[in-house]
Amino acid sequence: MSRLAALLSACLLAAGLGAAPGAWELRFIDQQGEPVPDAVASLVPLDAAAPPAATDRPEIMQEGQQFAPYVTVVQTGSIVVFPNRDTVQHHVYSVSKARRFELPLYMPGKAEAVTFGEPGVVVLGCNIHDWMAAYLVVVPTPWFAKSGASGTAALAAPAGRYRLEIWHPRLGKPLARDITLADRNAPLGYTLTLKPDRRIRRPTDPKSGGYK
Amino acid sequence: MLRFRRFSTRLLLLTLGLLATALLATYVFVTRANRANAIAHIEDRLAADVKVFWTSIEFRKRFLAESAKVIARDWPIRTLYLQEQLDLTTLRTTLASYAGRLNTDVFATFDEDGELLIDAEASLTREHCGPFRYLIRLADENAWEQNSDFSYIRGKLHVLIVVPLYAPEPNIIGWFGIAFPIDDEFARGLKATTQAEVTFTSGLTEDTKRVLATTLTPEMARWVADQAPKELKAGGQAMVSRLGAEQYVTLYAPLELLAEDPARITLQRSLEVELAPSRRLARMILTISAAALFVASLIATAVARGVSRPVRLLAGHTRKVAAGDYSARIALEREDELGQLADAFNQMTAGLAERDRVRDLLGKVVSPEVASQLLSSDLKLGGEEREVTILFSDLRDFTSLGEKMPPAELLALLNRYLDRMSAIVEQHGGVIDKYIGDAIMALFGAPVPVPDSAARAIAAAREMRAALAELNRELTAEGRPPLAFGIGINTGRVVAGNMGSKTRLNYTVIGDGVNLAARLEALTKEPVHRATIIVSEATARAAGLPGKLRPLGSVAVKGKSESVAILAVDT
Repeated sequence: MSRLAALLSACLLAAGLGAAPGAWELRFIDQQGEPVPDAVASLVPLDAAAPPAATDRPEIMQEGQQFAPYVTVVQTGSIVVFPNRDTVQHHVYSVSKARRFELPLYMPGKAEAVTFGEPGVVVLGCNIHDWMAAYLVVVPTPWFAKSGASGTAALAAPAGRYRLEIWHPRLGKPLARDITLADRNAPLGYTLTLKPDRRIRRPTDPKSGGYK
Repeated sequence: MLRFRRFSTRLLLLTLGLLATALLATYVFVTRANRANAIAHIEDRLAADVKVFWTSIEFRKRFLAESAKVIARDWPIRTLYLQEQLDLTTLRTTLASYAGRLNTDVFATFDEDGELLIDAEASLTREHCGPFRYLIRLADENAWEQNSDFSYIRGKLHVLIVVPLYAPEPNIIGWFGIAFPIDDEFARGLKATTQAEVTFTSGLTEDTKRVLATTLTPEMARWVADQAPKELKAGGQAMVSRLGAEQYVTLYAPLELLAEDPARITLQRSLEVELAPSRRLARMILTISAAALFVASLIATAVARGVSRPVRLLAGHTRKVAAGDYSARIALEREDELGQLADAFNQMTAGLAERDRVRDLLGKVVSPEVASQLLSSDLKLGGEEREVTILFSDLRDFTSLGEKMPPAELLALLNRYLDRMSAIVEQHGGVIDKYIGDAIMALFGAPVPVPDSAARAIAAAREMRAALAELNRELTAEGRPPLAFGIGINTGRVVAGNMGSKTRLNYTVIGDGVNLAARLEALTKEPVHRATIIVSEATARAAGLPGKLRPLGSVAVKGKSESVAILAVDT
């Protein structure tokens, strides 16, 4: 539940960033027709330079031996904070090309901040908890959105020519197309061909002895 | 022993009995051999299955130990271990992560002295970890890279493995203890490999016996646990037992535990499954046996009929022959012994008929005594010398009588005369040797010896004379001319026996004594003697009558140097 709440808040956050009149709605479904959450859409301007990144510091926290949120989107140059709100230590690392870093074992209550200067997908892991994984998508634009539980995302950007990029953790290659935004735009539907979910199942409450 | 009146019944029962016995013996032997084979085969396979179990255990132990050694070289676990304040909560979640990697349910860490720190599920206490402590101490003392054994964790049978945690090698900072359970899932895995039912049991006494893991139903597993033998050799012990509706061959093999009573691995294979092909064979044998018995009964019945029908026919014919009917003949168109028997029977019947006919004829041709002696088995050529009284009689002037009479009438007269005379001879124990025309040659004392042959001959002669007088009265009454005869009797040693060729024999006597008798008969024709019956002195002496007869002096006899005294029998 905490993860779902985090996702919702992230959606709201994303919607807040693009709080402009005439938000453009994107709808994502998978090959089974189910709504797809955690799909990331970004609009990279083709004719002008993108505005600089906001100064707020998004968080990817560790709680209940999980990262939250699962998918986070930031503009290039953002600083992301990794607070340990758990009862155990964590060892956060990334070996992704976009940003390699390591936060060796750090205690509950501590927080570390990392700057992400290159666009790309940063996959986060915990060295001592194999099942912990999260994605940080770094995009060179302030106009981005992430789909919520209903599979919809709202983009709000000035009218103009953009490259629309779609990414999802289970999508093979990101999808990209050039589009021209008007003041009002009809909603756009996407059917994403997703790969199977390979996330590691983790032991639940040790006393129950099962897996979820 | 049962007795059957009918041969066919006996043959049928004998044949079927023998065949059924042989088939039953075959069936029993084959069934028992197959069962013994199946049991031996299953025992071999179960022994191999136990090896599969040990190989599987060894493989998993090695896999887990090698994996644990790789994990023990992870950087963060060593960092965690060496933090100033040991963070057991973080350590526990880290172990849970490792347990996920190895897919094992027990993953614990120990300090360098083998004391429990924490396990992935935080469910072990120090009391549970005696076996781990023991394994760690042994590995530490012997500088082993790993150590493992069977033991119970929380009452469940596990395989325990310990590996050291280096920082860096060879500096040991603690130990990993992992374990995998010997549970129902493991048993099912072993069954998938071996196709045998697998049960693990513990306890050597009645109240501690229990099922640790099984592929069987709870009831059957309970039974297996109850039957587990207390003492076991290293190779285990096999037994045949019935579980539910099926028979199983069960192999109990020992499983030594750390500081505990040994457990048992029990492997079972269905005897029914193994026996299924031989059961089919047994059913086939039974079917073939039934068919063979049926066919054999048909054949035996046919053979018995083939034998008993001609035998009954023969029996019927034998009864006819016994009743004197020699006309019956058996027609059996067969080449075998019965056919030969029928031929022999026909020949015998023909022989009997011929013999009967011969006996009949013989009685008419020769005297009954001679006939009987001829028919008796001691018929032989040659003869023996014995004392015999020979009687010769001859009609006077019978030849001239024949010229006045038709032949048939003459013969009738002659036969009438001979019939009476012969009857008298036979009444006195004499034997008609032969008829020579109207002459009669009779023997007394041959072929059957009699002591008073001479007296009998004289008595017969007297009666013949009286009979002739009687016959003459009859002839006179009939208007025919009377007959007259003379009789000569002599007693002497002669050769008696069957004489002739191989195909035709006559019993007779030869010798001078015979000639003398004929000579004496001829002397009765001489008027000077005035005698009808003349006997020699030998005869008179033999009859004990020399003084009572009228001496006629002596006559010279041809072939003898001395003359012979002769006497007349007048009255």
